[in-house]
Amino acid sequence: MIQKNRVLQGIGASPGIVLGTAQVLSPREGAQVSVRLLYSPQEVAAEQERFREAVDQTTQELKRLKHEIPRELQEHSHILDLHLIILRDPMLLKETLRLIQEQNLNAERALYQAFQKIKELFQRIGDPYIQGRVQDVEEVYRRLMGQLSGRGSRGLLALGRPAIVVARDLSPAETTQMSASQVLGFITERGGKTSHTAIIANALEIPAVVGLDNATLEIVSGEEIIVDGLTGLVILNPDEGMRRTYAARREEFAEFKAQLAQGCALPAVTSDGRAIRVLANIELPEEVGLALKYGADGVGLYRTEFLYLRQRSLPTEEELFEDYRKVVAAMAPLPVTIRTLDVGGDKFLSPLAYPQEMNPALGLRAIRFSLKERKIFRTQLKAILRASAFGEVRVMFPLISSLRELQEGRQLLEEVKEDLKREGRSFNAGLTVGAMIEVPAAVTLAGLLAQQADFFSIGTNDLIQYALAIDRVNKQVADMYQPLHPAVMRMVQQVVQAGRDAGISVAMCGEMAGEPLYIPVLLGLGVEELSMNALAIPLVKRVIRLISLTEAQEMAHQALTRTTVEEVNDYVTREMDRRFPEIFRFAHSLANHSPI
Amino acid sequence: MDQKKEKPPVVQKELWVENRLGLHARPVAKIIALAQQFEGTAITLEKDGAKADARNMLSILALDCPQGTRLVVKAVGPQAREAAAVISGLFARKFGET
Repeated sequence: MIQKNRVLQGIGASPGIVLGTAQVLSPREGAQVSVRLLYSPQEVAAEQERFREAVDQTTQELKRLKHEIPRELQEHSHILDLHLIILRDPMLLKETLRLIQEQNLNAERALYQAFQKIKELFQRIGDPYIQGRVQDVEEVYRRLMGQLSGRGSRGLLALGRPAIVVARDLSPAETTQMSASQVLGFITERGGKTSHTAIIANALEIPAVVGLDNATLEIVSGEEIIVDGLTGLVILNPDEGMRRTYAARREEFAEFKAQLAQGCALPAVTSDGRAIRVLANIELPEEVGLALKYGADGVGLYRTEFLYLRQRSLPTEEELFEDYRKVVAAMAPLPVTIRTLDVGGDKFLSPLAYPQEMNPALGLRAIRFSLKERKIFRTQLKAILRASAFGEVRVMFPLISSLRELQEGRQLLEEVKEDLKREGRSFNAGLTVGAMIEVPAAVTLAGLLAQQADFFSIGTNDLIQYALAIDRVNKQVADMYQPLHPAVMRMVQQVVQAGRDAGISVAMCGEMAGEPLYIPVLLGLGVEELSMNALAIPLVKRVIRLISLTEAQEMAHQALTRTTVEEVNDYVTREMDRRFPEIFRFAHSLANHSPI
Repeated sequence: MDQKKEKPPVVQKELWVENRLGLHARPVAKIIALAQQFEGTAITLEKDGAKADARNMLSILALDCPQGTRLVVKAVGPQAREAAAVISGLFARKFGET
């Protein structure tokens, strides 16, 4: 008797749920490579010719495949171009010919050895993404072997009817041949969330589960299975009840996705009418597109370190201006908050020789560094001011820990304005200046700082680290890094109050601000502007729309009465599960995907 | 000493890998496409003493160059200057990526 509802666990690589018939692709042959020695120059020449023939045929095959790629996957056709290049690569082509010639090996064995050498070389590569390209070499290798053996490559398109494809591994080229109408979903034994295959599945919106050990052995062709790309679960031979459960779940997910997509263009307003600004954190000008796509109300944190760290020499005013202008102009009329340089002296390669610090987090960095290296700081401020002529720019100083730092920063800004006036450049003379609140001293001094700042932005990543004395990269203590720690919540409350008293806005731009779980508490504490990774925006906007400010205030109040972080987490998790069951069911599995 | 024949020009330039994903397959494909235009000019990429032919994808990939890697492009031959300039331009534009 067939067992019902057997569950296998893999890794969800492309969200969605599908029920269908499994089609298991047999593992490719070629594990056994025959060895045959060649005895005459004629034999060697013939063998080389046979290999060249296989290369030519593989070239034809790849070109044909490229031609046949379905339209919605055109942008992935470069994978086949890549395979064409690899096919001609000396390490594969010349080396195989050499082995045939010098070691009298048959073509298969020579090719096998050439490929093994490349594999060994790639094993030494440290960067996982670059190392992953060995899969492409393997794909070419397999095609060549298929040609040499006269079997050709296995066909994938001949599924006959729509099915869920189960394979040990799907090469990118094979994945591009899948058309959404034929392939309902897929399951592979190998691969991770970032593999080509996962990317393409996401593009096609086909549910996929990868990294499922023994999938091709456990699953039988023709079997009915459910693929849940959200949780990574695969259910074999589901019974009636299980089918109904998943059909409902599938409906819910479809609706959830549709609502997210629809909602991200609309403003984030609580159910009782309080508008919350939801902005994007960016690092590169190119990321503006993403911010706009996901409905950002502006850029709440533009990190500016990249231009300084990527090259040996310091960026010029023009280079900085060009990048800032691009971002500001693309976002206009929406605001862009530019954070001035936030690095330590040790990060600069040359021309500044600062010694390595024992404790960089507590060392010469951010505004401290800028106030010490005034020339660098002035250049950046000039570029920011010039960009302010192209849209709404705000500037903020990171790691403010005293009133003096804020004053000196502002004074320097005034001096730079004079310079620009002399140069006849246009800029916004009323540029707003903010202080990042990320040092406990700044929280304590928030009332004083608010007198001299036009806005606050709470940088939670550093604030939590300094307030709790936790380095979250340190595995020994990482679990003590707790955004909802009673101390952190009280600090946020204090900063918001200081801002209110002085009539300035208080934003938040750490990772905490993009985590749906924390949003109601933050709203309840009075934060009215949240800046986050653009991908988090649709979900955060949705949470905001579903809750009223009154409810959020009640939640924050309740959370503040709890005395330990465990109690707070417990309360918030339970409350959010109760209020937003559908969001938290899906949010977790969507965390690493773009939701729409 | 008599100069039997003129030495071909040699041009070296420092390059930085600035795109986020590093020298993965697509950027390397672009390097190769450019390098192939300069027939008769040898072009190599060097990283900490390790060398790769600029027309050889696998050897460039094997150099293992994530974002932030420093490389030197060395071109030897009649079109050395142009070749080095074009390749360093490609790096400076981050291969059209982010």
